[in-house]
Amino acid sequence: MTLRADHIAGAFFIGFGLLVLALSGDLPTGNLSMPGSGFLPKIAAVLTIFFGGVLVLRAGESKPFETLSWTDVKHAGLVVGITAAAVALFERLGFLTTNVLLILTLLVVIERRRLPPAVAYSVGVVVITYVLFVYILKTPLQAGPLGF
Amino acid sequence: MESTFLSLAHGFSVALAPANAWYAFLGCLVGTLVGVLPGIGPLAGISILLPVTFGLNATQAIIMLAGIYYGSQYGGSTTSILMRIPGEASSVMTCIDGYAMAKKGRAGAALCIAAVGSWVGGTFGVLVLTAVAPPLATIAVSFGPPEYTALLVLGLIFLAYMSSSSLIRTLLMACLGLLLGMIGIDNMTGHFRYSFDLAELGDGIGIVPVAVGLFGLGEILSTPSASAVRDIVSPRLRELLPTRREWNEAAMPITRGTVLGFIIGIIPGSAHVISSFLSYAIEKRVSKHPEQFGKGAVAGVAGPETANNAASTGAFVPLLALGIPTSPITAVLIGALMIHGVSVGPMLVNEHPDVFWGFVASMYVGNLMLLVLNLPLVSLFVTVLRIPYAYLYPLIIMFCIIGVYEVNNSIVDVWIMLIMGVVGYALRKFDCDPAPLVLGLVIAPILEQSLRQSLIMSNGNYLIFFSRPISLGLMMVSIGLLALAAYAFVLHRADWRTRLARAEAGEPER
Repeated sequence: MTLRADHIAGAFFIGFGLLVLALSGDLPTGNLSMPGSGFLPKIAAVLTIFFGGVLVLRAGESKPFETLSWTDVKHAGLVVGITAAAVALFERLGFLTTNVLLILTLLVVIERRRLPPAVAYSVGVVVITYVLFVYILKTPLQAGPLGF
Repeated sequence: MESTFLSLAHGFSVALAPANAWYAFLGCLVGTLVGVLPGIGPLAGISILLPVTFGLNATQAIIMLAGIYYGSQYGGSTTSILMRIPGEASSVMTCIDGYAMAKKGRAGAALCIAAVGSWVGGTFGVLVLTAVAPPLATIAVSFGPPEYTALLVLGLIFLAYMSSSSLIRTLLMACLGLLLGMIGIDNMTGHFRYSFDLAELGDGIGIVPVAVGLFGLGEILSTPSASAVRDIVSPRLRELLPTRREWNEAAMPITRGTVLGFIIGIIPGSAHVISSFLSYAIEKRVSKHPEQFGKGAVAGVAGPETANNAASTGAFVPLLALGIPTSPITAVLIGALMIHGVSVGPMLVNEHPDVFWGFVASMYVGNLMLLVLNLPLVSLFVTVLRIPYAYLYPLIIMFCIIGVYEVNNSIVDVWIMLIMGVVGYALRKFDCDPAPLVLGLVIAPILEQSLRQSLIMSNGNYLIFFSRPISLGLMMVSIGLLALAAYAFVLHRADWRTRLARAEAGEPER
């Protein structure tokens, strides 16, 4: 049997629905005349499992899993990693420093751009954005240890 | 009717106030840019720019955000015609004949016809909205929990039926959205659900981090810069005016697209996408020269572009009259108004007439601004398109982070956005449209509350949904749609969804 995309997707949704049901153990379902807080979540989880099952059963209509293109996964992984690092630093370093570092790293590490134009671009757009938000739109942005 | 005109006149006095007109202009300009730039659609654009409206009052905020929405429909046509890249999903059909016209040296004419068609569609939509929304709101005041439950169930089924991806996938995505929407404190019992002792999750997951993650970051993750190749056809300003023959060819498609788009816009689902596809299909069917479609047929640009703008306006009818979002974009707009302390629903027109009528009037003004803005500034938008994608996406990621963080000053929201970005990337890999997920997330609290209230009212008798005339009617439509969908599903018939997928893939119709 050929493993198809919908086999994987359907199995994931079935697993997710089962996980939600497991996590809903302590939520009262109640009854029809007084539904509890677990009433609708459990219905939605059962429906997720049901539709996931239908997806698996009709997986023959989907593409073979091996034909899915994953050429962009390295780019996506790098972007997620660098953005995650920026999010982790955001409240400590503040808007200006974090975003200059974020844009600079994306340009230099992923896009292989030369350092001088990358520095100029990242500093320029971040400072313009800061001025736009803080001074023109009067929307305060996260400050860093130096107060900006 | 007279009171409607008086109210509309009041709306114009609000919309034409210099500050409000300025924000309408700003919204239209930014919206056009959002539509022009591939990789950032109207949903991500509105969500990211939500914090920009925090310093504004509710009227200015909704005027600006709505300007971004319908401006993006205008802008989407520019990349479709000049680059054969749809700036956003509803412009897919415009790529086919718009780019073919551009290759024949008629890029300017195609842009002009798209802009005029968009203006006609948008303006007609606002006219009908003006007439229909207030009386509909009066009827909706009498809705109780069973009617709202039936309406929301119908909305979900309509969404599944009308969605451009498969029925099962749409329902799956809606279920996922409902589950996400139930995270946090249960309003009726006070139970914490799936919050894992995180105080930030007590209030539930916001629509902004989910929408920005799925549609903003998710799109970036799926688009490596090396694949974002640009081959732009630059129009000359003197070529902007279509010939008399082109105008004649565009007239009827614009008329049909206007009516079709508005009607589809009212129905839940990705209305602007569906309307452009249906308009293209109808134009091809009624054309005396169907062989010209795909080779630069004027009707192939005029019809879809008009329809998607009329649909954008039509989507505001259920939003303003019933307080029910029919698409993720209108859901974000509801969120934006709630941030400003305005509850959307049938009482909006009475409780906040400035917001309601100011918004409606601003759409007349905005549509006119877009017509004036789009044609002379087309060379500016072409210049924006020349910015390398490698420099553009880091900027979009920065705006994603600011946009999400500024809503609640919560870093947990930014982490949710990042997780949703990865989820959005994975969903695209498996051909799952994330839009129903966002809609499910938004309607989950309303659906849950109205369903539970209905069952409590009837002492557990679910026949309550079939014993009241309005809810009975809505439920019958739901059952009818499910039966239709099941028929096509069981018999494996190629319905319009399959044909849309083929058209998007560039495959010939069978």
